[in-house]
Amino acid sequence: MKTHKVEQLIIATVGFFWCFLMWFSTAAFSPSIAAHYHLSIKALGLLASSAIWMAPVGRIVAGWASDRFGAPRTFAFILAACGLVSIASAYTTNYDLLFAERVIVAIAGVSFVVGIQHVAQWFDAHEIGTAEGLYAGTGNVGAGMGALLLPRIFGIDYHAAFLWLGAIALVIAGWYLARGSAAKTVERRELARGRSNVRGTVFVWSRYIAIALMLAYAMSFGLEIAMNAWLPGYFTRGFHDAILALGFSSVAGVQIAAGTFAAVESFCASLFRPFAGFMSDLFQRKGWTPLPFIAKSLPYAPRLHWLGIALILITLAMAALTVAGLTGSLHLSVIVLVAFGIFLSFGTGGTFALVPLLFPDRPGIAAGFIGGVSTAAGIVYPLVFASGANIHMGYLYVALYMFVPFVLFYFWAARYERHPEEHGLFNDRLAAEKA
Amino acid sequence: MSTTAHAAQSGTNEPWFKYGVAFLSLEMAIAIAVSAYSLYMTFHGLGGFPGKH
Repeated sequence: MKTHKVEQLIIATVGFFWCFLMWFSTAAFSPSIAAHYHLSIKALGLLASSAIWMAPVGRIVAGWASDRFGAPRTFAFILAACGLVSIASAYTTNYDLLFAERVIVAIAGVSFVVGIQHVAQWFDAHEIGTAEGLYAGTGNVGAGMGALLLPRIFGIDYHAAFLWLGAIALVIAGWYLARGSAAKTVERRELARGRSNVRGTVFVWSRYIAIALMLAYAMSFGLEIAMNAWLPGYFTRGFHDAILALGFSSVAGVQIAAGTFAAVESFCASLFRPFAGFMSDLFQRKGWTPLPFIAKSLPYAPRLHWLGIALILITLAMAALTVAGLTGSLHLSVIVLVAFGIFLSFGTGGTFALVPLLFPDRPGIAAGFIGGVSTAAGIVYPLVFASGANIHMGYLYVALYMFVPFVLFYFWAARYERHPEEHGLFNDRLAAEKA
Repeated sequence: MSTTAHAAQSGTNEPWFKYGVAFLSLEMAIAIAVSAYSLYMTFHGLGGFPGKH
């Protein structure tokens, strides 16, 4: 089959975009579903949180499967399975069954790591940041587009929405199978397949640099999904009077204003992600290695430095959110929030510009570990934010007690000038098994 | 800031790259425009993020 890497990038991006659309389509219609089934606030919260349940474990399995069976087959299977269940959910009249079906449809979110593996198998090292950034950033927009467009197109008819989303997913699955190709070369494909075993998984999971990248992604994407859930409530409670002063008098009006601030942060975090990948490529091209301690002579050292800068910026922005909140200035807080969203994109784009280069023979397993385990952080941060006496202080606590240690660990793990992936736990046992 | 041999190892960009950069620039422009519009609406008490009026 004659193909081009740009075609593979487009297929992966469209597939990912649609999966993210399906992933968050339940949330887009949660008011309609709640009204139809007379759900309590508690039940509504459970429905909203269910979208993320399958992500940590599901992404780990999906990453392994993409190395083992190839990205096109894995992605097509996810699209087809989630599409069929989405169609079934359109005809369901029992809420318990609908809930179970929507949890299964939410598995679509695990496709992220499959596309990361697919793009990594096609693009070369000097352009991997831009390619992965375009894939992930454009695909991520699917989540926002779902919230924005689905209620406008379908109104409260979530049955029709679920039916169409599922049907189009089946079409994209067929396209992925027909035109998708697992890797640029047979050698590259066979290398990834050959390393997709238990030993390969233990190897990746025990590498210091893989753990550091997982924490970096927890600081960026994990924080992004946590903030999506946290920010509307934060602005409603933390700036209630300031929002009323803008002219929003009703509860619904305050929700609109608070939701807007959260949406803007999320929008910037998604749409600046390709730029972050481009910046990683630019650092690489220019050979910029400005930070101390981090390796300078590795072939991909400048990308390590770019990610290091991103992590420092995220930590500083968290502290700035607390300072801005304590001043009571809504305008200042929103300005810091926009910058914060952009810095998050630097972290997400910077991380996955590195993963395929650090583990070129195990791209799926590495993407599954780093992209999967890190999402669990999205559950932890809101708990810390909500635990303090002052609602503004949570950002500073997370920055000081979680992010500073994470950044220090990143600097420590990225200091090796030769083969950082050889440093980790269980080295002796892994070497003995290899022998 | 040290400039090492990385640039030499970085390879040359292929034709697709400039279209990729144009696309990501468009995405950034959309993000800035939508954010500016939404925040203007909100700070003037007129509404919020598109779709949440």
